[in-house]
Amino acid sequence: MAEVEETLKRIQGQKGVQGIIIVNSEGIPIKTTLDNASTMQYAGLLHQLVMKARSTVRDIDPQNDLTFMRVRSKKNEIMIAPDKDYFLIVIQNPSD
Amino acid sequence: ESKYATKETSKCKKAVCLPTFLSVLIVISLPKGHPDDIFPMVLTSATQKLFGCLADEDVTGESPYKLLKKDDIIQDIKTRAAVSDFSPVKQTVLDYPEDEILLVFDRDFTYDQCFYLALTPEAKKRILNPPEPETPEVLENEVNKTPEPRKWIPQGSEQEVEKESVKETREKLCFKCSIVRRKFGAPVCFSDRNAADTKDAFLECPSYEDSRFSIKQMQRDCGIQAVPKLWSSSAQTQWYVLNNKSTQYMPREQSDEERESILKSKSLKNFLNSVTPRVLHALQQTEIMNVFIDDWKALGAGNDDSDFFGQVSEGLMLFRALSDQMHTKNKKISCVNWHPTIYGIIAVALTEKKKEQLNESTKVDVRPSLIIFYSFSDTSGPQLLLECPDDIFAFEFCPSDPNIVVGGCINGQVVLWDISAHVTHLQGTQAGGKKSSINPDTFDLDDNKEKKTPIVCYCAVSSIESGLKAPITDVQWLPPTFEVTRTGLAVENKSNLSIQVVTCSPEGSIMFWDVRATKLSRHSASGKKQKADQKSQMAPFSVPDTFKHLDQTWKPLFRDGEIVYADWKLLKDDSGRLNSEKPLHCSSIHHWIVNTVQRSPFFKDIILTVGAWDFAIWREGVMGGPIIQSPSSEQVYTVGCWSLSRPAVFFLGKEDGSIEVWNLLAKTGAPVQVYAHVTKAKITCIKPWTASTCKFTASVVPNLESISMKHYLFYYVVVLLCYTTESNIRTCLTKCKSFGAE
Repeated sequence: MAEVEETLKRIQGQKGVQGIIIVNSEGIPIKTTLDNASTMQYAGLLHQLVMKARSTVRDIDPQNDLTFMRVRSKKNEIMIAPDKDYFLIVIQNPSD
Repeated sequence: ESKYATKETSKCKKAVCLPTFLSVLIVISLPKGHPDDIFPMVLTSATQKLFGCLADEDVTGESPYKLLKKDDIIQDIKTRAAVSDFSPVKQTVLDYPEDEILLVFDRDFTYDQCFYLALTPEAKKRILNPPEPETPEVLENEVNKTPEPRKWIPQGSEQEVEKESVKETREKLCFKCSIVRRKFGAPVCFSDRNAADTKDAFLECPSYEDSRFSIKQMQRDCGIQAVPKLWSSSAQTQWYVLNNKSTQYMPREQSDEERESILKSKSLKNFLNSVTPRVLHALQQTEIMNVFIDDWKALGAGNDDSDFFGQVSEGLMLFRALSDQMHTKNKKISCVNWHPTIYGIIAVALTEKKKEQLNESTKVDVRPSLIIFYSFSDTSGPQLLLECPDDIFAFEFCPSDPNIVVGGCINGQVVLWDISAHVTHLQGTQAGGKKSSINPDTFDLDDNKEKKTPIVCYCAVSSIESGLKAPITDVQWLPPTFEVTRTGLAVENKSNLSIQVVTCSPEGSIMFWDVRATKLSRHSASGKKQKADQKSQMAPFSVPDTFKHLDQTWKPLFRDGEIVYADWKLLKDDSGRLNSEKPLHCSSIHHWIVNTVQRSPFFKDIILTVGAWDFAIWREGVMGGPIIQSPSSEQVYTVGCWSLSRPAVFFLGKEDGSIEVWNLLAKTGAPVQVYAHVTKAKITCIKPWTASTCKFTASVVPNLESISMKHYLFYYVVVLLCYTTESNIRTCLTKCKSFGAE
């Protein structure tokens, strides 16, 4: 538990990080630094997106797999690190 | 003879009465219906006993045949003679050939008697042995026969018949009618006559309601039937396609315990360990550099859509023209300056238009000399007036404090103004146009627009004795980082304010003025200015006796001060020693007066000098001569200035009022563009300015110097050139409209 906290603190300490969410494989958030409504929104939407991306990658090459996903928008950047059981979602405001 | 003889056939009676009733009574007579060789007979019981054929004892329905001896029958006949039952058949029996005669018990009375006797042996045979194959034919014959009438057995219906039948209740009346004798034999015709045809032909007794009693029907039988009332109706449910009107859902959440357990789980730890490096790496990437930035856009193309390589328009366009009838009549503009911080404010110094500028105080005009501030946004009139003791040839805003203006008078005095009190007024005009909230006098709606603009008196002036004797032709502030000490050394200015002023005059002296001390005595209107000045005497060269402008530009960087002093010759001086220093270098490139010396705002060591007929570009350190020297032009150049935005562009003003735009990158031998006859008079001053993306160049033209018509309405022209940076150069030129007469 403490290790989890420590890791999250490290990530949170980076410049521009607005929020972190850990989501399980079904899209249910486990741990978050944002408020509940945003968390639910991000978790639900990004889960679907990551599933889609992952299936795309694997369809093209079954040996391949999705390792990281970055969604860059006008206001911020959303980074998703997928895994077998969990996702880690980090929202960052870029430097400029 | 036989009792059972057929019934008497009664005759059909027809009763015809006089009324019209008719009834028929028919009695049916039964015909004789037995074969000839069978003789039905009745046997008394004594006879039956005698012969042993008692009915229903000896002979029954099943065995109805009894054979009787012929002798016995004869004997019986003899004994009982006429009483014997067999007496009618005596003769037949005697004649019977055989010995036995068949007697049949007719139980059913088929031949109307109990017994019958077979009279012939053939009949006997026939009866005893009925021929079988003949039976169907016999039956058919019998069926086809009409049924024989049987005896009427009354069941009780004859009573109703009798009731209904009409019987005579009395005797028939008999009428006898005879006609007169003489008509005997005559033909007679009988006809019918209806009783109703003739009146009183009959009498009737109709029925009537007897009023003696009335019978009230107390009880009446009526039949009631309950009939269920039925009607049919139908209902139909409409089957719509089911679709969801709305759905509501809630996100799934986990309970706290589950979350706790997951957070503690090992798999989560492993996940985080594996994923964190990637995430940190990505985070750092975005932190370091924004890869999506559009550099071209960020360069600040701004409103312009044209690309860099498009046609560079170097046109100058007229932007704004200012004119002032009241103040500038008969006057010449000697110097113009932009306010350093307030956009759109331009200050103009006016002098008397004279042929002989060196003459002092012979002016007839009693109007005070003024520096007038004008604003772009408020074109109604001047915004501020600075009073001067005398005509001002040159003035400058202090670079570190734009509220201080220093000017050099025609009589050699140096004058200071402080306009900080009126800055808000100037700024008010900048912001919204004709804001008259500050100055209530501006509500004046006189036709000649005589608004009371504020007048600022000078706050410091140098004494006439200590000043120069000759008119001050140029004034420059020393840059904020630079100051000159009493002994002439250039030292660093620690206060970072421009505090010293250099003036020069045609008599060949340069004077340094320190304005610091005057800050204490700012509020005294006529306080003497303390001067801690350095007098540096330059070995004057022979100064031609003509009026000249001197522009002095300073190095913007902090270095040992090099003063570039331009006289009609170009002189250079090196590091800072001003006292009686001989000029290092002088060259007489320009054969006439030098009217402009200016450093390029981009390159610190490139200097533009404009002489009367040509211009030259010098580089510091290159003592041999100018880098570029232009060919002589036909007209006198009066003023020149570098462009603030493009390094190779400078503007030259000419005597005939035209402006030349030179672009050394494009052409070195000729101007890129010439705006001929911008104004009618010569251009005396061009000052560039930047305002947002536009650059304004103010060029002041005193007009009418070349025109000697007296009654000409003078106007001065403020020519403003503005152009944009980068690709599109839009230069604007303003031209003043002349009031009144042409």
